Amino acid sequence: MQSLHFRNDVLVEIATFLARRWSQKDKLVVEFSDKKENQTKLKENRISLVSPDRYFGASFEKYRQFRTAIWYEAMRAKFCKKILSNDHAFGFILNTLETRRIELLGRKVWRGMDEELIFSYGYAWVYRPQLANVLGKTRIVEAFYQYFLFGDIKGEIQPSYYEKIRKAAVRAKEILAEALEKNHDTEWLEKKVPEILSILDIDALVTIPLSIPWKGPGIMVTPEDLVKALQKIAESREADFGKMDAQNILAGKTVADEFKVVEEENRKNENKGLGSQSIGIQVPGSTNVDETRIYDQDLISNLKTRFKEWKTSWKEQHVMSGDEFDAETYIEGHLPFLTDIKKSIKAKIVILVDHSSSITDQQVQYKKVTVALCEVLSFLKIKFSVYAFNTTQKQVVCWLVKPEDIKWNTACAKRLAQIEANGGTPLADVYQKMYPILRSKKPDIFLTLSDGEPSDPDAVRAMVKSLKMVGIKMVAIGVGHDTFGATKIASNLKYLEYEKTLAVSRLKDIPNRVLTVLQTS
Amino acid sequence: MLHASPTYLDWNNSLDILNKAYETGLFVLIIGPKGTGKTSLVREFTAKKGANLESINFSLRTRESHLVGTKTLVEGTVGFDEGILIRSMKDGSILYLDEINAAEADVLLRLDEALDDRRQIVLKESSGELITANKNWFVVATINPLTHVGTKELPPQLLSRFPVRIRLDYPPEQTELEIVKRHVSGSHDDKILQGIKLANTLREAASVEELYYSPSLRETIAFGKLLDSGVDAKKTANMVFANVYAQWGNVEYQKVNDIITSMFGS
Repeated sequence: MQSLHFRNDVLVEIATFLARRWSQKDKLVVEFSDKKENQTKLKENRISLVSPDRYFGASFEKYRQFRTAIWYEAMRAKFCKKILSNDHAFGFILNTLETRRIELLGRKVWRGMDEELIFSYGYAWVYRPQLANVLGKTRIVEAFYQYFLFGDIKGEIQPSYYEKIRKAAVRAKEILAEALEKNHDTEWLEKKVPEILSILDIDALVTIPLSIPWKGPGIMVTPEDLVKALQKIAESREADFGKMDAQNILAGKTVADEFKVVEEENRKNENKGLGSQSIGIQVPGSTNVDETRIYDQDLISNLKTRFKEWKTSWKEQHVMSGDEFDAETYIEGHLPFLTDIKKSIKAKIVILVDHSSSITDQQVQYKKVTVALCEVLSFLKIKFSVYAFNTTQKQVVCWLVKPEDIKWNTACAKRLAQIEANGGTPLADVYQKMYPILRSKKPDIFLTLSDGEPSDPDAVRAMVKSLKMVGIKMVAIGVGHDTFGATKIASNLKYLEYEKTLAVSRLKDIPNRVLTVLQTS
Repeated sequence: MLHASPTYLDWNNSLDILNKAYETGLFVLIIGPKGTGKTSLVREFTAKKGANLESINFSLRTRESHLVGTKTLVEGTVGFDEGILIRSMKDGSILYLDEINAAEADVLLRLDEALDDRRQIVLKESSGELITANKNWFVVATINPLTHVGTKELPPQLLSRFPVRIRLDYPPEQTELEIVKRHVSGSHDDKILQGIKLANTLREAASVEELYYSPSLRETIAFGKLLDSGVDAKKTANMVFANVYAQWGNVEYQKVNDIITSMFGS
């Protein structure tokens, strides 16, 4: 398990928000991947980002490059019709042309990105390979890339090649200018790539090895190197970006506030005296998980519509004494005074979701229902946290899906999506692991959602008793495959001395039941 | 054809539709999120018609008596204070029922009686007299989308009393620019347009519940006015659009702030 999960949570949330807003695509999924380059999959509506840790410089510089990378991928998602693989010359050159096209199109609206784009270009230039280190035909493609995007090449190249590269870059700029002027898209540009390839005199299928040099020992960059690089880029791209000051670009004042928030959020979560990991609760770590498959929008909207009255927080009720006298009601013989009563739920709730192997066949549906419940709880602004348990590598693991102090978001859904149903139902073990947290946070209600009887009933009874002594209302919902099964589970759970037990045979009824429990509490 | 006042822009011909409905005696329902100019439209229409406007803003606290009226006791004599519905029916004014779907169902039932084809209501609260509406009586109601806090679905029978429905959404960018320009004196079209693009970005986020608040036309107009007074565009954007999100925590605020940074720079 990773130690920086909270930071990644905040980053995934901010990255998802920015990518969706910048691209105007509401369904875009953003994830961190272990791959060496950022990738946008248009058909899947997905952006895979390289973790900020893998960029260069100090944390702030890393963050700035990461943020710009999100912007580029969001622009690709918005403006590109197709994205080819970078591993052959044809795709590499098309993507290079596209990078500049989407950048110029995006800048029309996102004008505040200029400094950040140049900043990222600066770092990219410093860490781009020297042409002498690039072998074969790839060198020509790399030289074209550098000349076209940065306005210069690193190192030396034969004069005859240099001339070809210069000509190809000039032609590429003409093509791009026409594309922008006449609003042509990727497919039009694609038809022009053979022209560039023939000027460069290379085959479309020449293999291009991944040439993004990630940080490594011995390639440290001094601030002076960076300032020089920024000055160089600012000058060569002056026609596109206008005059810019290298020192301002380096300072990055505009993004500093945002970075502070990321840092603060990180610290906030690190400073908790009782770290969840130290007491055996783990956080699902993968961020390259598709959470959309466990989202049932219909169910969520239905529930929100049904419970939206609670959101108003207030309901008018007739009582014996109050502020406003209602004569009509008095004459009709009813309670005459009107008062507003608060409808919102103040209870703090902890939900534990069973992920034992018995739910394997319906785990997607089970997760969808859990997500819908969380969405509604969040919609109603109820304080809640979610835990789940399963057996991983022969060990019972209690997973933290959503801590109480973090808003329900896609990152939480990603965590839930990756928990595989497996193992038995050792409830007492799980309660034991959660005990310190429950004692310190003291929720009003602790709700266990389980589809089977615990494998350790006596121990569970003892744990339920001690949790009740702390002042927590213990509630259990038995999920059965049919009405008979559900009632049987619920009545068995009753023997475990929960204060309230409920039975559900249709998974979709779970959110309703939970909300009813909350309303009556 | 009705002509709008200098500050009002009838960008989707709503005034004409209202006029046709008025002439044919059909009641109108305007549907749209808050801050899209629903009230301004009705005010504008009433002014053009030279009619009297009676309006009521519905909430959970609106009672039947606010609409119909209440009995009074003055010097030992029981009287009756007419409510807005009865008054407008008698006078033949334009009755504007704002955010009608915020009211409780029992309040709406009473409206239903007056709004049907007979245009009559029995004043059971008073002497049981039958009130028949003046021929000029015209009713316009508005509803906010159900996603808005405190809104309810309108009962179908009441919905059918308003056969003319106007959908008033946020206007297209260029139209919104025209609207804002009618409220400002300086020439900073480019900056105003950036502000409108920002508002639209935030509206899109709010429509998919990524943000809790959706900026209205009022905010883009405020943005234009502050630019007029010489405040820098980014600062204005922060004041008008970003700061409101701080109530939902740092991350929410910063997300919006970051969109502003990427739009306006330093």
